[in-house]
Amino acid sequence: MLDANIREILMQVRDEAADSGTQATLQLHHEKSHLMRIGNNSVSLNTSEDLLRLDMEVTEGRKQGSQTYLGPIEDVDTVRGILNAAREKARMASPKTYDPIPDVVETPISEDNQFDLELADIDPGMKVEAYHEIIEKLGGQYNYSGSWSSGLMQVYLLSTANRNEAYHRSTDQLFSIVLKHPRAKWELTHNQTGWRASDISIEKTINALSELLPIYEENDGFKAEPGEYTVIFGSSAVAEIIEMAVYTGLAGRSYEEKQSWTMKYKIGEKILGDKISVVDDPTNPETFMFGFDMCGRRRNIFPLVEDGDLMNLMYDSATAAKYGKKPTGHDTGSPSIVMDTGFGPADPLEAVKDMGRVLYIPALHYMNIPNRSKGIFTGSSRFNAVLVEDGKIGSPIFSSRVTDSFQNVLGNVKAISSVSESVNESNTYGRRAPVAMSVPSYFVSEGVKITDSADSF
Amino acid sequence: MTEVNVKKEIASNISRISSEGADYVDARYYLDDSSETLLLYDGDLEANDTTVECGIGVRVLWEGAWGFSATSDPSGIDACFAKAAANARTASRLVNVPLSMGAGEAVKGSYASPVEIDPFSVSLQDKLAFLSRLDNDLKEDFIFKRMVFVNFQKKKIHFQNSFGSEINKDLASVFGMIMVMALDSDGEMQRRSMSLYSTGDGTAGWKMMTDPELFSGHAGRIRSELAELIKAEPLEYGRRSVILLPGQGHLQVHETIGHPLELDRILGYELSYAGGSFVDLDSFGKLRYGSDKLSVSSYGSIANSPGSFGFDDDGTPERDYLLIDRGILVNALTSRAMVNEANERAGREVFEQSGGAARATSFYRAPIDRMTNVNILPGNDGTEDEIIASTEDGIVVDNPVSWSIGSNREHFHFGCEIAWEVKNGEKTRVLRNPTYQGHTLEFYGSLSAVGDKSTWKVEQVNNCGKGEPNQVMQIGHGVPVIKFDDVITGERK
Repeated sequence: MLDANIREILMQVRDEAADSGTQATLQLHHEKSHLMRIGNNSVSLNTSEDLLRLDMEVTEGRKQGSQTYLGPIEDVDTVRGILNAAREKARMASPKTYDPIPDVVETPISEDNQFDLELADIDPGMKVEAYHEIIEKLGGQYNYSGSWSSGLMQVYLLSTANRNEAYHRSTDQLFSIVLKHPRAKWELTHNQTGWRASDISIEKTINALSELLPIYEENDGFKAEPGEYTVIFGSSAVAEIIEMAVYTGLAGRSYEEKQSWTMKYKIGEKILGDKISVVDDPTNPETFMFGFDMCGRRRNIFPLVEDGDLMNLMYDSATAAKYGKKPTGHDTGSPSIVMDTGFGPADPLEAVKDMGRVLYIPALHYMNIPNRSKGIFTGSSRFNAVLVEDGKIGSPIFSSRVTDSFQNVLGNVKAISSVSESVNESNTYGRRAPVAMSVPSYFVSEGVKITDSADSF
Repeated sequence: MTEVNVKKEIASNISRISSEGADYVDARYYLDDSSETLLLYDGDLEANDTTVECGIGVRVLWEGAWGFSATSDPSGIDACFAKAAANARTASRLVNVPLSMGAGEAVKGSYASPVEIDPFSVSLQDKLAFLSRLDNDLKEDFIFKRMVFVNFQKKKIHFQNSFGSEINKDLASVFGMIMVMALDSDGEMQRRSMSLYSTGDGTAGWKMMTDPELFSGHAGRIRSELAELIKAEPLEYGRRSVILLPGQGHLQVHETIGHPLELDRILGYELSYAGGSFVDLDSFGKLRYGSDKLSVSSYGSIANSPGSFGFDDDGTPERDYLLIDRGILVNALTSRAMVNEANERAGREVFEQSGGAARATSFYRAPIDRMTNVNILPGNDGTEDEIIASTEDGIVVDNPVSWSIGSNREHFHFGCEIAWEVKNGEKTRVLRNPTYQGHTLEFYGSLSAVGDKSTWKVEQVNNCGKGEPNQVMQIGHGVPVIKFDDVITGERK
């Protein structure tokens, strides 16, 4: 649990600020992170960080300023100093043209239902043994790389609006391995995620890679010439597409400012295919569940797209204030985006057995948005991508670029898996902020535009 | 604990862990790592943030494996060294390719970015008044959204290692961007922006912000370009010449020369995240990367750039050298351990010495191979106007909207803010939604014109992401106007 001394210090400074009429938000972020990196069949980095950050934001009418401090918190004066710096910045700030919505911890909350002590204190030696086992079982003739990130995160939030405390403690991990053929250069990968130490099964990774290895060993690469294809997008690609579609199409800021591919539609109108439903669901255990946002609002189940219809837009506090809307609990770096599963078989090959020649693209590398207004995205195939003919895997495919619109790809979905998968979308830039999505293990889309392909993997 | 005592503790811990058998030990003590961000959006101050960090990062190499640990607590230095050493010992249980820093000499020195006026010494009131003036310059009836962004960074770093090196660095960078947005005739959002750049000389301080040429004097230009852009036709699909202004050319260089030439990437250490490289150890001295007109340097002795830092985080002095010499690949972006491994793996000396490119973004991240300044050297094909005059059918493009690159950097797709059509040597009209794509070697092979010194600018990158745990790095790219022929542009119907 949160260090009692730090809690006392922060509450004391909160009380002092409230008594002096200061409007402030105090957010403490503590992470105990570990990451092991593998390169060239060796551990290339084994790193631990134990970091404490304090964010203070002060609002004076229409003026705001914030100060972030990374360092030890041992006394009240340190925290007072950070508050004073934020207060000074707010005092000097130019006023906004709208009234900011005050941060309020709406209800006391203390959550740690995704916390596992075993994972928080994991022995890095266990990770060494796991990678060693994979290399031994699959063969040292390949080049292995990968990473295994795990850690503990605590967030503690106070505001001067009241004495309510919001506290979150969780653990999370993301395991990945890449197996590369040293001469042919093809790459296979397998990832696992979870919040418990026991969520990762090395046997599962070994089995998954073992299934694909003969296909890559025994077949030459296939070059998909530019054109339209039926494509099975695997869970990682599905998560990337949905995540990008949500943030470029369903964020209130983008919509209000006409930068969104949904800007010509109203709530209730059809924006995607009938089979597509997406919700932000902080109660879904396949995501990293966060019950409150960083402005103190409770996060609830929030439908975004239902049967292809636009249901809601996500408003952070600043956007809501600027455009006269109500904030929707989206001042968070850890949303819980969930795409509903469909009725397709668990095995994607079964789903496309009558569809002839199909590309199976499990993951999209380096996606970006060349045209936000039209919702056009681009990215290329990488790991585990194969040609499927009449439901049977044929050859691995060379690096192929998909450039298409969300509305075409998500408007021409022919089958959606009935099985969901958790896909970890976290990054480790700056502070630890675990993000996972729950998505179907695949969907099949027709008429997907392949716009370029390489002669190599 | 005083600064002097912290440095003493670092020295004594390095000595202790070395005597226990470590191959190599270093520590970076960040006395101050501050960043201030101000953002005026439509005139509203949407960001008024300062971040202050301080702490120590320790790296231990033990039997060929790295362990790293970081703490922001000065009283925890001993524990931090112990943790880094323990991590290295654990890592050494799985080593097939042992890493080595080799035998090193003590390097003593210091470096300070050239700063005449420290942005942190300028009052917030004065900064906001400056931003407000810039914002005012961006206003016009047809403009839908305006943005003025500035970021100031300073880092005070003390470095020690087990070779006996002691280095002090005071690094400073400033970044700035102005942007205007408006709806085009189809109701789609278009934008024009401009980012602060450097001539390579001068100071890295506040004075750059207020220099009309480098930053503050471009509001009128981007406003009028946006006015043309919203009335423009979209670019049609087809093959044609593409002339990249430095605002776009720097990202082309960054993504398709800089990243593929990072040696850790070439050796396979980034496969699980950023990807690999189509370059291998046999490529050096042989691979034709581009036409004879392509010469590319690392660092480039540029005095004023975020990619100039004096000494890297191995303690190696920054070094000016060629990566590509008249089209032939000759060197990479390198650190000590990666050079030693590459030479060992190749069984010959592929790289003579480290390129001084080991960089970490903060005290709590371990150094990896990064870009410094990766620059295309100016050529002999004249000014921008002269390059346009020599073009029969092409487009001039500026400023990225989107970039997506293949995992081995072998192919790419870029979207830009604006294109000017060129027909028979003249700019004829503005075109919107320009994109182009290509395959790296074929593309640089089609390099047909490189602008002279008058077209060369040092563009600054504030957000280069790489590594696990992820790191954002600041980089410079000195780039002239460059022309490529027979490029696929626009999107297939």
